[in-house]
Amino acid sequence: MSAGLPGFTVIGATGAAGRQAGDRVRAALTATGVRLPSRKILASLAPADVPTSGARFDLALCIALLVRLGVVPASGVSGCAFLGELALDGTIRAVSGVLPAAAHLAEHGAGRLFVADGNAAEAALVSALDSVPVRDLVELIEICNGRMAPRPTRQTTPAAGPPVSDLADVRGQAEARRALEIAAAGAHHMLLLGPPGCGKSMLAARLVGVLPPLTELQALELTAIRSVAGLLAGSGPTALDRTPPLRAPHHATTAAALLGGGTGIAKPGEISLASHGVLFMDELFEWPRRLLDALREPLEQGHVRIARSRATVRYPATFQLVCAANPCPCGGAGGCECADAQVWAYRRRLSGPLADRIDLAPRLRALRAHQLVDPVPVESTVTVAGRVATARAAALDRWAVLNRAAPPTKVRATARRDALHILGRAVEAGVLSGRGFDRALRVARTCADLAGEDVVASAHVHEALAHRAALRDVRAAR
Amino acid sequence: MTSSRSPGGRGPAPPLSRAQRSGVLRLAAGGRADAAVQQQVLRALLDAGSSCAPADVIAALDRRVGSCDDIGLTRVGARLRALHATLIVAGDDDYPPHLWDAWPELGAPLWLFSTGARPPAIRRPAVAVVGTRRPSTDGLRTATALGAALAEAGVTVVSGMARGIDQAAHRGALDGGGTTIAVLGTGLGVDYPARSGDLRLAVAASGALLSELPPGAGPRPWQFLARNRIISGLAIATVVVEGREHSGALQTARLAGGQGRDVWAVPGSINAPASAAPLALLRDGAIPLTGIDDFVTAISGSATSTGGRSTPDVAWQLSADATTLLDLLGAVPASTDALMAASTLPAHAVLAGVAELVDRGAGVMTPHGVVRS
Repeated sequence: MSAGLPGFTVIGATGAAGRQAGDRVRAALTATGVRLPSRKILASLAPADVPTSGARFDLALCIALLVRLGVVPASGVSGCAFLGELALDGTIRAVSGVLPAAAHLAEHGAGRLFVADGNAAEAALVSALDSVPVRDLVELIEICNGRMAPRPTRQTTPAAGPPVSDLADVRGQAEARRALEIAAAGAHHMLLLGPPGCGKSMLAARLVGVLPPLTELQALELTAIRSVAGLLAGSGPTALDRTPPLRAPHHATTAAALLGGGTGIAKPGEISLASHGVLFMDELFEWPRRLLDALREPLEQGHVRIARSRATVRYPATFQLVCAANPCPCGGAGGCECADAQVWAYRRRLSGPLADRIDLAPRLRALRAHQLVDPVPVESTVTVAGRVATARAAALDRWAVLNRAAPPTKVRATARRDALHILGRAVEAGVLSGRGFDRALRVARTCADLAGEDVVASAHVHEALAHRAALRDVRAAR
Repeated sequence: MTSSRSPGGRGPAPPLSRAQRSGVLRLAAGGRADAAVQQQVLRALLDAGSSCAPADVIAALDRRVGSCDDIGLTRVGARLRALHATLIVAGDDDYPPHLWDAWPELGAPLWLFSTGARPPAIRRPAVAVVGTRRPSTDGLRTATALGAALAEAGVTVVSGMARGIDQAAHRGALDGGGTTIAVLGTGLGVDYPARSGDLRLAVAASGALLSELPPGAGPRPWQFLARNRIISGLAIATVVVEGREHSGALQTARLAGGQGRDVWAVPGSINAPASAAPLALLRDGAIPLTGIDDFVTAISGSATSTGGRSTPDVAWQLSADATTLLDLLGAVPASTDALMAASTLPAHAVLAGVAELVDRGAGVMTPHGVVRS
């Protein structure tokens, strides 16, 4: 506050809504009955070069002024954060992006977060933070002065996720079911090869059900991504969704929609929305090469970095890739007549960065009539998920990450010599590349974990090789 | 195998004079003389006897067949020298006697362009191994083993240098350290099939590359059909390893039958599309090729081959599951689902067992499933 023409100026704010914050604060305080001195009031949002948008800093500006005016004691607001927009009559309005802000504040030591009623449930998802809902400035001032107890936040009950389709619905396809179990247990990337209509999409959808629920940290991260992407409609989430996500973008998707993008500041794309879950890419050979190549960085580093005019952002993108493709040029439905060499040539189109990262390539068969009429009962999602959970726990216990990311030298140390020799022979025979050696060994590690064994034996390595037989790292036969 | 066997028989090919040869080269370099025109020319030469200048005979036919002018002839000559190729005309010492014998009705090529390290190789008895350009993994293996076994028994292997079975047969013969001949459907100087350059060099070094077309002739469908009569004519027996319904190999085999030569067919599954041609031939009376050793014995009269399908004795080092699965494997690719149903083993055991068989060399992985090796 200084001498000069009476007024309220906010500097450092970009965007019209930010610059008009002063007017809103003045009007709201007047409506609440707080008299403002006839002096020049200057507020600065620092650092000035960080772009700001919207009116979410209104509440914080207002509190700073109230403390300066002595309406609220400084001790009443220490360790507190404020997020909300002010209406001219003094009520507090909900704003977007509360969850990521709350998570960030909790990380940086804030103990309490004041938000509008409409944001209370979303902020309460961060359990490390005490979220306080406030209706208007009167209530805020009373609470900060200790004259009123904060209202309790609405209790959040975990929302029952949508009923997940059961693995028992998938008929036949024993090889693919087994591959799915391994993929779930080791977070290995998978390519489903099968004719149209044999259940590739069905299987991909059921992988999500076999995966364990997300941890609180993972769920928070995912909800924050959804919040930034604007997918949380209305007042925001009321409970943390712990279901691993499944995203299945179409092959006509643009790079911006897949990886993240947009003008100004990039929004998260499909790969980030699939974080801690499954990204399903159907008709893999229809996808433009450029997009497949662009997936390399996120696959390797678990995040994606997007530069746009106003900012460079980094979004998490730790997804598990499931692709699907026809097994051969003719599609394979109704009896394939493709020659072996043609099929190898067709599958070799999947060379390059993506092929190097796929570990499991189960072959699915067209369904026979008797499988539709008289399905043989098969294991349900619950049974498989139980084994998967045990195997994942074993891996996390051993090297704190899932087997897909396990350090090669340590995995080798858990394998028997004769098991390693099998892989060596496969490399010599030309059916496995040098890079494929460790990838196959990690899959073998997962097979051993599923069997509850500490040591990787030859049977596990043989199975791992069988699961990538359809890939053929190296051109072996003429 | 002599002309006396055929009703319209004739003697050995007539020796041609120098002038006649140059006329033939002119025709050959023109590249438009098909089998019928060649017959005409030969018949005219023979009918004219010694009373007429051969150059006149050919000149008389020139208008009909469009032979090469002097400039073209020079160019073809230079090309032939660059390829180290020679012209073999009927009646020459190098002209394969079997080929001439095959054509009682004067269908043998009047000339052949030849390049290779061992020209006499083409005079020796040979066996043709032919098949589809889109073989199964099993067919490729059979063709390679056949080529190797024949080579080891000292029998020349003839084929057509096409992708698939043909090339596998050539490679097998080279692996067996023997002689192999490729009859091309293009000129000797054309890189066809693509990326077969190394193999063509190796075949030429072991035996010969033959073609009745001028060195620059590119691939045309009818040339390959015409070429097949030379393959069957060079061989005392033709083996069809794999072929589809309207395969060129089927035509080669039928030509061989018409030439009075033995036709052998490798029996395949009735469910395998690539076995359609051999099965059709078997129905029509071809000899079933039931074992490579037996076949080579029958052909060469002596059992010298070791390249047969003797499965290595691996049973002692296989796991119980793998042993069970080995008994279920055959030449038709088996899927995981099918093996599960037949063996009642769980999926992971079948997958591991199959990979173990492949690892131990007892099975081969194909895109459609696993086959026994």
